[in-house]
Order: sequence, then C-alpha cells, then structure tokens
Amino acid sequence: MELQFRNICKSFGEKRVLREVSFTAEGGKAFGLLGRNGAGKTTSIRILMNVFPADSGEVLLDGEPIRREIRTFGYLPEERGLYPKKKVLEQLTYFAELKGMARKDAIRAVDGWLERLGMADCRNKRLDTLSKGNQQKIQLITALAHDPPIIILDEPFSGLDPVNARLLKDVVREEIARGKIVLFSSHQMNYIEEFCDSIAILNGGKVVLSGNLQKIKRAYPRDRLTVRSRQCGEICALLGERCTPDGPDGLLIRLDSPDDKPEVMRTLTERFDLDELRVFEPSLNDIFVSCATEKA
Amino acid sequence: MRQFRKIFRFETVNLLTKKVYIGVTLFLIAVIVCVTFFPRVAALFADDEEEQSGTAEALLVAGVPEGGEETVRQVFSGAFPGAVVQIRNDVPNRDELDGLLTDGGISCAFLLDGWTSYTYCVENLSMYDYNTTVADEALQTAYRMNALTASGVPADEAANILSTPVTHETLAIRAVQAENYLYTYVMIFALYIVIMVYGQIIASNVAAEKSSRAMELLITSVDPLSMMFGKVLASCLAGFVQLAAVFGTALVCFRLNASEWEDLPVIGGLFNIPGGLFAYLLLFFVLGFLFYAFLYGAVGSTVSKLEDANTAVMPVTMLFVITFVVVMTGISGDAMIDGTMMRVFSFLPFSSPMAMFARIAMGQVAVWEIVLSLSLLTASVVGVGVLSAKIYRVGVLLYGARPKLRDLLKAVRNA
Repeated sequence: MELQFRNICKSFGEKRVLREVSFTAEGGKAFGLLGRNGAGKTTSIRILMNVFPADSGEVLLDGEPIRREIRTFGYLPEERGLYPKKKVLEQLTYFAELKGMARKDAIRAVDGWLERLGMADCRNKRLDTLSKGNQQKIQLITALAHDPPIIILDEPFSGLDPVNARLLKDVVREEIARGKIVLFSSHQMNYIEEFCDSIAILNGGKVVLSGNLQKIKRAYPRDRLTVRSRQCGEICALLGERCTPDGPDGLLIRLDSPDDKPEVMRTLTERFDLDELRVFEPSLNDIFVSCATEKA
Repeated sequence: MRQFRKIFRFETVNLLTKKVYIGVTLFLIAVIVCVTFFPRVAALFADDEEEQSGTAEALLVAGVPEGGEETVRQVFSGAFPGAVVQIRNDVPNRDELDGLLTDGGISCAFLLDGWTSYTYCVENLSMYDYNTTVADEALQTAYRMNALTASGVPADEAANILSTPVTHETLAIRAVQAENYLYTYVMIFALYIVIMVYGQIIASNVAAEKSSRAMELLITSVDPLSMMFGKVLASCLAGFVQLAAVFGTALVCFRLNASEWEDLPVIGGLFNIPGGLFAYLLLFFVLGFLFYAFLYGAVGSTVSKLEDANTAVMPVTMLFVITFVVVMTGISGDAMIDGTMMRVFSFLPFSSPMAMFARIAMGQVAVWEIVLSLSLLTASVVGVGVLSAKIYRVGVLLYGARPKLRDLLKAVRNA
C-alpha cells in the first residue's frame, strides 16, 4: 500500500496554505509529517480526508486516485474532543457506527479496545469523569475501532504519562506491523525519530525536506565530531576555534574536511582520556530546526 | 442514508432522555390536567357552600317608599332565592343596624334613599360579595315595576313585561371567527414557542459540539448533510413528541370534562379544528420548524464557544419575533387578515408558516396562493438545509473571532 500526495495546492482566499506539496507514505511503515504551527500539516490531513478538496494536485493510493470510503481513515485530531457528558461505550459505539460498523460489531470492537488499553472499567462512565490521559486513550479508540487501513495521529503523545505513552507506542507498533499506513504529525521529535522511517517537513506550505530519515541524516556532511571527556579544556587549547562546547563535559569539533577525521580521532584518543568519541549525526530536532526556521 | 439514520437515532435518544426535556413535558402535562379539571373540582366545593348559606341568609331592605313594599319584596325575593327578606319603611339608626347585623340574624341590609340609590351594609365585606350587583338590578326592576303600576299597568303584567327573556340562536355561514381565532392564536403561539426553544437547543448543541471539538471528528466521519439533517429532524421529532404529549393530554382531559366547559364554547372550538385545516397546520408547522432549525444550526456552527451562541442567534430570533408580532397583529383584526402586509408575509419563507396558516384559517385564500407559498417554503427549506450543512462543514475551520457573513459565504464558496 502506498499513499501519495502529488503537487497539492490549497488557498483560503488570498492566503496560499499549501504549495505543491508532495510526499509518499508506505504501508507497514510510519510516516512523519512535521512542521511548525501553521505550516500546513492539518490542512494536508483535511485534504487527505476530504474535509475540503485541494485546488490542484491529487492524492493517490497505490497509483490510483484515492477512493475515500468511510472506513478508510482513522483519525486522532490534535484538538481532542468527544461528548463530555456521554458514557464512554455509548459514544465510542456511535463513532464506530458512523464509520460503517454494525452495532454489534461496533460494541465488540470497542470492548476489545477498552480491554487492550486497560480501561474496561470505564465502559459505563461519563467521559468528563475520566482523567486527561484516559480521555486521550478513549479518543484513540475512535481512530482505531473500525480497523482503518490508514491511521492519522496528530500529536498522539501529548498529555500522556510515560506508562500510557509506552502503551500507545505498543499499539502503534502493532498497527504498523499489520501493514497499515500510520501518519504521524507531531512536534515531539523523539517519538517521530523512534517510529518513522520517512518524514516530510513542511514550512510555509511547502515541503522543504522529505524522504527516508536515515538517508536524510546520512546526507548531512560528516564533518563534525562529538567528544565527551573531562579534559575538554586541554582539547580546546590544542584545537582552538574548531571546538564549541556541547553540554557539560562535551565538545563539538568541526573538521576542516571529512578526510581529516582519522587523523584527528587518532590524536584525540592517544593524548586524552575520552569517555566518548563519534562522528556527529544531526538529530531530527536539529534537522527540523534548521529546515523550519529557513524563510519559506 | 445509513449515517443519517444513525445520527438521527443518536440525537433523538439524546434529546428524549434529557432530564430537562422529560421534566418540562411532565410539568406542562400537569398544568394542563390541573386547568382542565379545575371547574369539576371547584364545583365540588361550590355546591357545599351553597347548601350551607342558602337557608341561613336573611336580608333587610329599609327605607322603602310607601306603597312599594310588595314590589320590593317580590323583586328581592326573586333576586336572592331562598333568602328571608324583611321590608321596612323607616331607616334604622347606626346602633340598631349594628345590633341587627351582629346578633339580629340579618346577614346584610340595603338602606334605600329613594328608588335609585341605596347604601349596602354588611358586617364583613367578603372578596366574593356580589350582592350589590344583584341588588342594583333588583332595585332597577322594582323602580320600573313601580313606575309601570303607577301609570295603570297591573302589577302581574308589569312583572311579566319586565321579566320576559329574549332568546337567540347563532347561524355562522362560514367559520366561527371566535373559534378560528382561538386555535389560530394557540397554534401560532405554539409554533413560536417550539421554534424559539428548539432553535436555541439546536444552536447550542452544534456550538457545544464545536467547542468540545467533537465536530473535528464528526466532520471527518460523516457527510455534513447527513449530520445537519439528522440533528434538525431529531429535534423536530422531539418537539412534536412534546407537543403531541401536551395537546393529547389536553384533548383527553377536555373530553373527560367537556360538560364542565359547556359555558365556554370557544374552548371546545379549540379541539374542533377541521381536518383539512389541521393538515395545513401540520405541513406549515413542520416546514416552518425546519426552516428556522436549519438557520439556528448554521449559526451555531459559526461560534467557537457555547457562551457566544446566544448572541449569535439574535438576528434569526429578531427576524422570527418580528414575524410573530406582524402575524399576531394581522389576526387580531378582520380587515388586516388579508391586508397587504399579511399577503406579503404569507409568501416570504421566513414568515409564511405563520402568516399563510393564519390566512387559511381566518381569511380568504385562493388555492394557487397556498400552493405557491408552500412551494416557496419547501424550496427554501431544502436550500437553507444544504447551505447550513455547508456552513457546518466550514464552521470547523472557523475558530476564534466569529466570522462576518461575507467571510462566511466566501469560505462556503471556497470549501
């Protein structure tokens, strides 16, 4: 399964929200859609789900224009919201039914998920009596109960404690393993880095970077070294301006050329007591900050 | 369609199981039962009182002009059946009067000052004392009888002349205006109340969905047309269930107590709406309800916070109130019911449910006028329904400050 966004453009009045946005997400893998607030992530998601049409461009599933059936998508919106005064089972069943499930199947699926997420005892409670984390898990069930092939998770980890975050991670991994397309939109880069094979970074409505995350990282020049040592002062004295501090007992050493790497590494290991020495690889956070702060 | 059914069922169950809905319906039913049974209950107590006071009553008429004693006795005995009537030519002084009224067995006294004025004396004046009204008439009759006998008419004949009743019958060639007026009034008022209440409910339900962000999920799960129609038709059903419960109770209770209400045929007329008119009533009622319900729903989806919903619906409410006032004025005068204002209002979709129904019930309307009015209204209901669904769809994008109408229409066009 392959979901393709091809040259999607969208304007609201004078404002151009998406400009020629293209990316590809594959089944059995998670895809990260990143960008600062207002970059166009939610608009992209809404176009994907046909809340409104794109001005131009197309969305393809396995090379064909996507046929959006009510069961196609599972969506966890960033702004969580269900009916606060309704009982959990009642509203989850309603949402599953709206997604095309028969009532009996809907109840069975919802019960299964409540069990899976450790919330079977909340079945007949009113939503507003639950904690924020539990409400979030309930919301997650609305995205998963009807077993959609494409799952869109907008900031899924916000507000979850570490135990619940791990539970959610397990659930997401299971869904990915079942061959589904999981589309993440998040600002929490560590989670994206953990899950996503591919990403697209949006800035000002344009895709400024996209592709396989590992390849993106490798494409960055390997001309910096990360060092951890208690002799940072001495190292700086030797290498001068090429060193910049990087946290406590840490240094970042810029090389004049990647070819200097063996020489510098050898010198450092021979002359100093090092705790760590490796080629610096930018984190997703670094990549995001550098891409998203460039003027679109 | 399947989604529409699910939304319709969910929303209907929501509305019908709300405590406030059940409470208000039961309260209205209780009020209706109390009102319709009131004459029956009141009659039970009234009978008792009459038995107790009938024999005990004794009254004094003093200061009766010479020669008029027999006439006065006859007239007052007739006016106060069962009472012992004492007649005197002189007027007792204050002390004597006190004695008579407190321990003398006299319940009240009329001190005449000639034939046309008197002083009414009673120990305690009760709130329900209508004796002066009765005595006014009695004394007037006595005066006339006296005058007639003075000019030579025999007393018996004079009494006959004065007491001959006039009878009448009514033959209404067309409808009975009073009865028509009453049920037109009641039905227009009911429509007004139902639209006001349910309009507000729909607007705040949609606004609540938006502010709780449930709309975000709904908009990606269902098509807005099903959503809007499901919601509006569910509240329409809830409204009709409530009306049917209230009017049904009224009808049953009225039938049980029909004999008690015979004195007020107008009330009976309320339940005797001709079948054809009732069909028109239902038709205009449903269409009018839907028209406004869609408008309220659309307005509800433009606000971000529940608190803003009340102010946002003001323009719709004002439009509706103006219509109500115009139609109410229209039905209050014969000349106005088919006047220019009512004619115009009976074709405009926002006012035709009230105005055209009123004209059908009370005025002269040609069939083509009804057909035209209904067609315009039906088309508008569909139009407003589709538009409100579109506004609902873009409403999810419009958070923050409430959009101006122009921006809203632009957003609807762009989406």
